[in-house]
Amino acid sequence: MDDPRVQRRMNRADLVTGCVLAGLGLAIVYVSWTMPRLEVRGIHPATVPGLVPGLLGLILAFCGAALAIKAFREGRGEGGWVDFFSLLRSAEMGRLAVVGGLALVYALLLVGLLPFWLATALFVFVFIVVFETWLSPSPKPLPRSLLWAGVQAVLVGIVVTLVFQNGFLVRLP
Amino acid sequence: MLEGLLLLGQGIAHFLTWGALFNLAWASLLGIVIGALPGLTATMGVALLVTLTYKMPPDQAILCLMALYVGAIYGGSRSAILLAIPGTPASAATALDGFPLARAGKAGLAMGIATTSSALGTLVGIFFLALIAPWLAEFALRFGSYEFFWLALFGVLISGRLTAIDNPLKGYIAGILGLLAAMIGMEGLHAYQRFTFGIGALGGGVDLIPAMVGAFGFAEILSVMKQRFTAEMATSDDRVLPRLADITRYWRTTIRSGVLGTIAGIIPGVGEDIGAWASYAAARRKSKEADRFGKGSIEGLVAAETGNSAVIPGAMIPTLTLALPGSAAAAVLIAAMFIHGIRPGPLLMTENPQFLYQIVGILFLTTIAITIYGLSLTKLLVRVLLVPREKLMPVVYVLCVVGSFAITQRMFDVYVMVAFGLIGFVLREMRYPMAPLVLGIVLGELLDVNLRRGLLLSDGDVTPFFTRPISAVLVTVIAVTILMSMPMVSRRVTQIFKRLDPQGRTG
Repeated sequence: MDDPRVQRRMNRADLVTGCVLAGLGLAIVYVSWTMPRLEVRGIHPATVPGLVPGLLGLILAFCGAALAIKAFREGRGEGGWVDFFSLLRSAEMGRLAVVGGLALVYALLLVGLLPFWLATALFVFVFIVVFETWLSPSPKPLPRSLLWAGVQAVLVGIVVTLVFQNGFLVRLP
Repeated sequence: MLEGLLLLGQGIAHFLTWGALFNLAWASLLGIVIGALPGLTATMGVALLVTLTYKMPPDQAILCLMALYVGAIYGGSRSAILLAIPGTPASAATALDGFPLARAGKAGLAMGIATTSSALGTLVGIFFLALIAPWLAEFALRFGSYEFFWLALFGVLISGRLTAIDNPLKGYIAGILGLLAAMIGMEGLHAYQRFTFGIGALGGGVDLIPAMVGAFGFAEILSVMKQRFTAEMATSDDRVLPRLADITRYWRTTIRSGVLGTIAGIIPGVGEDIGAWASYAAARRKSKEADRFGKGSIEGLVAAETGNSAVIPGAMIPTLTLALPGSAAAAVLIAAMFIHGIRPGPLLMTENPQFLYQIVGILFLTTIAITIYGLSLTKLLVRVLLVPREKLMPVVYVLCVVGSFAITQRMFDVYVMVAFGLIGFVLREMRYPMAPLVLGIVLGELLDVNLRRGLLLSDGDVTPFFTRPISAVLVTVIAVTILMSMPMVSRRVTQIFKRLDPQGRTG
């Protein structure tokens, strides 16, 4: 946290999230205000469903605004936005995008589309190969990585499917 | 007193069957392995194991979960000592002195001391659990809606304040987001469905287990895989079994750290990491060899490991008696107890008095198990640390997906897991603590229902919230917590104290 560059980035991130949270808080206040008050059912007006979410939304808006103001005061000055956006082009961000992408494709697309064991094996295989060769600081030889990743992928796919289907009686997607 | 001891004996004896001991053995070993592997935390392990044990009888399922929890908090010390990477956040303070010891060729000694300190820390915590919990449960019978509302608010606030990484505001925001997440779905007073936007699956609200698997599993996978470096391991070939003199020399530190760890456990949502840091700081302040801290001090290692282990029994005190989770993993345990039909809270001692002593028994037996494993299985655990993350993380993610799906068998829970994973990751990168978020999800309904029920009882009048004696105390504590987290106020207060005490001892 001592690095001024990191500090500047964090300030920009806080400024953005502060504004987003303040907006979210106000939106929640609005939805809670317009939530049915259930007068027909004759409930006590102090127990309307929107009461607590409304109050929480108000506090969230306040905290978000406080965060944004603090970040704005401390982060004024040169080069903050450039630093902030340079974050998106770093090597770490590339790795992150790959992990996130693989994970989302597996959970949201492959599971349900393919038989579970096959989806799992595919995911494990691609994950291992990508991070052992392409995105590794010290890449392994491709054929070796392919072979062992394949073995592990098939094993994981079959074992997980069998354990959950026959052991825990889960009807897998 | 005698009755308590009898129940305690029964609690331990209850698990002295072959089946239970087998469960204890695998769950605590699995816990140590999960704890030792960087990127797999105790909370994530417990959350995933809930999905694997929900078909077991309640006592055995809770046994497995608790054993895994204790094992994981202990196991984190292995990677902290050998790799300088804490296996779980709880072992961050352990790495400060453990790794220098390992580099000086004393890895065995460090691992041995970490083992005995963890065991002693758990024992100190168990002592207070057995002592305080029955009393607190009886006291809590006096709590009404007003008190429970403040208690829920206090839990989220204090957790936000104490777990905040650099800005208390972010701790509070995390807590509020958790509370808001709990507002989704059917509310408990009039059965109205809030914030569902026409999505039927949201009617039941956000389930805690998939949310936790996401926030502690998927999010952790993202942050582990993001980093490019790989760590180097220190070698260990000296004797692991510590000498009795090494253990007894720091008995003061052990007891002090045990007490501090227990207190950190009792405070809602404040977990093992804070317990370890608090005992480490206190030990350094009181130590005669304070300059050795951070350079391989055995006393520092004792403080950190005793402190984090004592948190677990400490955290069970509010968890069992008030249903207020004492740590993030305890929040998962509450969810697991509900799945198994055990209702933690003030009525637990009336409805199910033997359960508290069964928990004590589990903790006691697990302590024995981890001591045996810790002092004997050094080579195996070193091998575990060599498993590359490229091969491990995809498997963990598969388990996150299947685990979230398994309990209610619907894809919606997988989407909840993914959403909380992504949100959790972004929040964590921006230095928001996760514990208050979790606490918010658990306590949201308690806060909502009790505020409105209190208002209904008082016919819309808010004064009982402030004038009832216990409520008044809670309000004062909450007000002081909020005020002291504002830099302006805390600076003023420090100035006033300095004026009263010119030697400046208050710092």
